[in-house]
Amino acid sequence: MREQVITPQVIANPKSKYGNAKASTRHFITQRLSGAINIAFLGLLLFVVVQLAGQDRADMVATLGNAWIGVPLALLLVIVTVHMRNGMRDTLEDYFAGRSYQLLMMLNTVFCILIALVGVASIFKLVFWG
Amino acid sequence: MVMSIAHRATGIANYAGSALLVLWLAAAAWGQEPLNVVNAIYGSWFGQLVLFLYSWSLIHHMLGGLKHFVWDFAEMMEPGQREMLSWATLVGSVVLTLLVWTIFVWVR
Repeated sequence: MREQVITPQVIANPKSKYGNAKASTRHFITQRLSGAINIAFLGLLLFVVVQLAGQDRADMVATLGNAWIGVPLALLLVIVTVHMRNGMRDTLEDYFAGRSYQLLMMLNTVFCILIALVGVASIFKLVFWG
Repeated sequence: MVMSIAHRATGIANYAGSALLVLWLAAAAWGQEPLNVVNAIYGSWFGQLVLFLYSWSLIHHMLGGLKHFVWDFAEMMEPGQREMLSWATLVGSVVLTLLVWTIFVWVR
């Protein structure tokens, strides 16, 4: 989102404008909202891991194959990846600008989509095809 | 200040740690043999150490997020209060992590 290099002078000048006001507000709200939902994710994750850590595939199919557990876990995992991408954006914005920021942001997006895709596909495999 | 860095660091750790979760799920979806490999790695002493730190990182980041919710309402921002709140997240995360591992892993 950011091309302009932000120097201490830009920050010190109260009349300067930098960053995208609308997108930044949206990122802020998204991060708070997804963060709150992630508390539910951690609760479900704790349940799933306590049930299934070190267990065989059949046990994982039995627990995650219950659509009331598998489908919410998949949905919450997607929200987690949104939170991950947004949080990493905050970090990247602080240390990079211009082309390198755009490149790293793209890698960030690819990683988060990959996590979401593989996670959801794996869970849905267990839920719908055993 | 230090706790702000800790929030960012645990956030990045959770970012990387999500691969551990997805790897486990993918192995389970793939078949029993890949799952055996993942279970052996995660069950080893090093795997357990990483998972222990990952669980602490998740819990600490969650408490840090809750702290930010409190601050969003402009509460607990006075000097002293905010340090107290930050210490509470640190102590709380360690206690919660040990509690979870004691109840669900070590004593079980």
